[in-house]
Amino acid sequence: MAMTMSGEVVLPADKATVWAKLNDPETLKNSIPGCQSLEKTSDTSFAAVAKIKIGPVSATFRGKVNLEDLDPPNGYRIAGEGEGGVAGFAKGGAVVKLSDDPAGTKLAYDVEAQIGGKLAQLGARLINGVAKKLADEFFAKFAEAVKAGA
Amino acid sequence: MPTLSMTVNGKPVSGEAEGRTLLVQFLRETLRLTGTHVGCDTSQCGACLVHIDGKAVKSCTTLALACAGASITTIEGLARDGKLHPMQEAFRENHGLQCGFCTPGMIMSAIDMVNRKGTDLDEQTIRHELEGNICRCTGYHNIVKSIAAGAAAMGKEGLRQAAE
Amino acid sequence: MSATGIGARVVRKEDHRFITGKGRYVDDINRPGQSHAYFVRSPHAHATIKSVDASEALKKPGVLAVFTGADIAADKIGGLICGWMIHSKDGSPMKAGAHPALAQGKARYVGDHVAVVIAETLAQARDGAEAVVVDYEELPPLPDMTLATAKGAAAIHAEAPDNIVYNWHLGDKAATDAAFAKAKHVTKLDIVNNRLVPNAMEPRAAIGEYDDGDGVFTLYTTSQNPHVARLVLSAFIGIAPENKLRVIAPDVGGGFGSKIFIYAEETICVWAAKKVGRPVKWTADRTEEFLAVAHGRDHLTHAELALDGDNRILGMRVSTKANLGAYLSTFASSVPTYLYAPLLSGQYNIPSIYCEVDGVYTTTAPVDAYRGAGRPEATYVVERLIEVAARERRMDPTAFREMNFVRQFPHQTPVIMMYDAGNYPLALKTAMDMHDVKTFAQRRSESERRGKLRGLGYSAYIEACGIAPSAAVGSLGAGVGLWESAEVRVNPIGTVEVLTGSHAHGQGHETTFAQVVADRLGIPIENVSIVHGDTDKVQMGMGTYGSRSGAVGISAIVKALDKVVAKGKKVASHVLEASEGDIEFKDGQFQVKGTDKKAGFGDIALQAYIAHKFNGQELEPGLKEGAFYDPTNFTFPAGVHICELEIDPSTGATEIKKWTAVDDFGNVINPMIVEGQVHGGIAQGVGQALAEQAVYDKSGQLLTASYMDYCMPRADDLPSFEIGMITTPAPSNPLGLKGCGEAGAIAAPPAVINAITDALGHEDIAMPATPQAVWRACQKRPSRLAAE
Ligand code: FES
Ligand code: FES
Repeated sequence: MAMTMSGEVVLPADKATVWAKLNDPETLKNSIPGCQSLEKTSDTSFAAVAKIKIGPVSATFRGKVNLEDLDPPNGYRIAGEGEGGVAGFAKGGAVVKLSDDPAGTKLAYDVEAQIGGKLAQLGARLINGVAKKLADEFFAKFAEAVKAGA
Repeated sequence: MPTLSMTVNGKPVSGEAEGRTLLVQFLRETLRLTGTHVGCDTSQCGACLVHIDGKAVKSCTTLALACAGASITTIEGLARDGKLHPMQEAFRENHGLQCGFCTPGMIMSAIDMVNRKGTDLDEQTIRHELEGNICRCTGYHNIVKSIAAGAAAMGKEGLRQAAE
Repeated sequence: MSATGIGARVVRKEDHRFITGKGRYVDDINRPGQSHAYFVRSPHAHATIKSVDASEALKKPGVLAVFTGADIAADKIGGLICGWMIHSKDGSPMKAGAHPALAQGKARYVGDHVAVVIAETLAQARDGAEAVVVDYEELPPLPDMTLATAKGAAAIHAEAPDNIVYNWHLGDKAATDAAFAKAKHVTKLDIVNNRLVPNAMEPRAAIGEYDDGDGVFTLYTTSQNPHVARLVLSAFIGIAPENKLRVIAPDVGGGFGSKIFIYAEETICVWAAKKVGRPVKWTADRTEEFLAVAHGRDHLTHAELALDGDNRILGMRVSTKANLGAYLSTFASSVPTYLYAPLLSGQYNIPSIYCEVDGVYTTTAPVDAYRGAGRPEATYVVERLIEVAARERRMDPTAFREMNFVRQFPHQTPVIMMYDAGNYPLALKTAMDMHDVKTFAQRRSESERRGKLRGLGYSAYIEACGIAPSAAVGSLGAGVGLWESAEVRVNPIGTVEVLTGSHAHGQGHETTFAQVVADRLGIPIENVSIVHGDTDKVQMGMGTYGSRSGAVGISAIVKALDKVVAKGKKVASHVLEASEGDIEFKDGQFQVKGTDKKAGFGDIALQAYIAHKFNGQELEPGLKEGAFYDPTNFTFPAGVHICELEIDPSTGATEIKKWTAVDDFGNVINPMIVEGQVHGGIAQGVGQALAEQAVYDKSGQLLTASYMDYCMPRADDLPSFEIGMITTPAPSNPLGLKGCGEAGAIAAPPAVINAITDALGHEDIAMPATPQAVWRACQKRPSRLAAE
């Protein structure tokens, strides 16, 4: 089933800093909720393991993350797909756009994702809420990292 | 694995249970009391209903270890000295069951209903109170009849016992 | 009528074990040393399986084995079968793809069986499954018939390149077109018959076991027909020859069709038992049941009815697309064809009917028989057409029905069936009287005063039950005969065991069958035991579905009982020293005609075994007889259901206020049990009409996979029902039985929708009429009122 979500946050740093953090595996790893490992497999791709719980289903997802449509320092598309074993799968991507803002940098995101298997069967009604929560968690952590690195 | 003790159908029992063992698994697999059934994974159908310390509880969403020391009644514990509980009798007399899979949960739910709402139950109350029990066979018609009759019989029984 | 004989409301013998928690369902059984199976299921609707890596899973604690499609292929385990061959219009056989018990190369629906993990405990099996790594390459999901039949859609099976399994038809197209050409009025409807999940409350389960001492497999399974399961597992799937395979279906917690079929899970459990050298147990959780049990219905139909100037029906034209799912289940092909189109004549005189049906593969769970199987779909088409035609012609719907009812029997329809007995006007009149239709207008205005919309809907259904004459179904493509067997074993002291090939999973056979035996033999009902559900005990049988256990199963018992009595007379003639022709059997006594010389049934049974009073070479000792009964016709239960309901236009909530059913099941053995069957059927039919629907999204994910999302009817959604009966005995079987198991589910959906559309004043609502859908429909201007 499909899930979409979009939003924006203002981060207290300049575009170049934000862009650097967006490409830094360590920052991403610390910011992605439940992320257990994130290893660079090439300049623009990572292997990731993340543990996520959606309603009654919790699963460890193993998958790859690719950075596409790179347009430094204005944005990219981050795409991933992961298999959660018995729990199902998730795949999708987020278009991330950076623009200048009086308070720093505005980051706008547009997420489109597909989930399947048990996640869709039991988690369907919860998925939007969970996704929003995960996004909030991500940006809270990411903002901290940006602030620290700014 | 921790050992768990409780009273089931009036008898002290103990057995091993993991942290994730559900009460229904403990009853069915450890104690071999298979009258309590599992019909769903989401706490909706009521096939697993038992009484814990006199209250109706879905045993599929209760952890066994949480019931340490509790007194539990299952469908197997209703008949006394070979005599059926009036609610069991009412289900049989009124053809309140077909495949019998939902029946233990229905009977346990019905007795709890009487305990909470009294012995004079109208159709609307019964139907409303059965919200947590699904039956696919009977269309509920005869379950409703059975519960009304069983409740009335429990009332009479209570009077008789009080008189004795 | 005796207190326990035919026609009596005998309280059920089987109930004691169920109300005391002593029922014995498959999951209640544990075998020594048993292991547990957990299936790895595809999370994708359609995908190539590039590899399955079990190496990590095999390292997990407790894991005994992991099997994939390659393992069953290596063991030459055959695919699951579809037992009914349908031919397309052009004469070509249906295009069926293989149905392996574990997917080979491709997964075709979410829930498809990709691998199985067998471990010491269920938790360990599940943990093992978590570690199986499957590399999928996704293919386009085709979860609905429009997508699957679109130009250029990917083929789900190479055998059916356009995803069409068959283009089948029935009836005389030219005659029907001619009828339409001369029609004065044509009613047209587009109809969706929503996809349902049967949802027996007991999830499916299986335990496979192998005894390597004598090479015998045993399978405990939740089956409505253990012998058919054995036949398929033996002859087609190749587990073991029949004499080395025992199938036991103990207490089964409801079936409704879904437990007829032979599924991957039980096949794997019994096969794997030998591989791992341990019993293998599997019990579905509810979500697995939603994913992988055979679903029901799922038709898209365009239907037309032609009327002459006097509003007499001239013809009917029906074109249906039937979703068969990703694989053809055991009887899938027959449901939207021979169990559907032959019922399109309903209770009416329709001179010409033409029906075409496309069977379509989609990437969804297989679709097969669910309570009524084809007949609810047909009845929904007929009774919606009839109701709408009456409304369009501004006729009272009951008068319109009256005018077009079949009144002469036998009646040959243009679609195979020959109705042999019925009284449709009487059922209608009885129902209208019971329902107090006369005062409906008052009730309606009273509702209006409260701002509510009240509607009244009729459904005059017919079904073909007692399936079925073997040669007839054989000529239509069935792979099996549909007779039934019985064996009556009389013990020396006169107690009786009856072994039947029927299977009870809620129907109460242990009581009704015993009533027949007690009645015919004149013995106490306590002296009769019914044995079923074990292929080691009962020699052969075709099982229980299609409301056949009375009309076919009991008929076999009656035939065997007649043989017992005939043999008893022979024994009695020696005991009573009279000629065999002078012995009468009545009320449990063998009596010499015109004398008071007699002997009780028990005495004669004893004499049959002692064998002192006759020459054992001339008359065989013992008293045991068997019979196979092959019906001569279908039976045709019919009736009228009336639904009265009230809609709250501000919320769309629908409340059924009153339900009246008058059914003709022929003679009835136990009215209490028959009424119970009607109640349950109505509830399922109301569920279909108001609440239930299996939903796949565009990516082929099943969104309704638990009771949180699939709406089951609950006590509060239903009223108590008024049940009446009329009786025209079925002429085709000895007791005149017709069958009652499916009636309610067949009758109810059109009654509900006819009532809703009556309340709304327009026809624009589809099943399920959920509050949201009804609320939306309430926003639309009533076309009928507007036109009036
Ligand atoms: S099994 Fe407990 S509510 Fe369904
Ligand atoms: S009697 Fe079968 S589910 Fe209730």
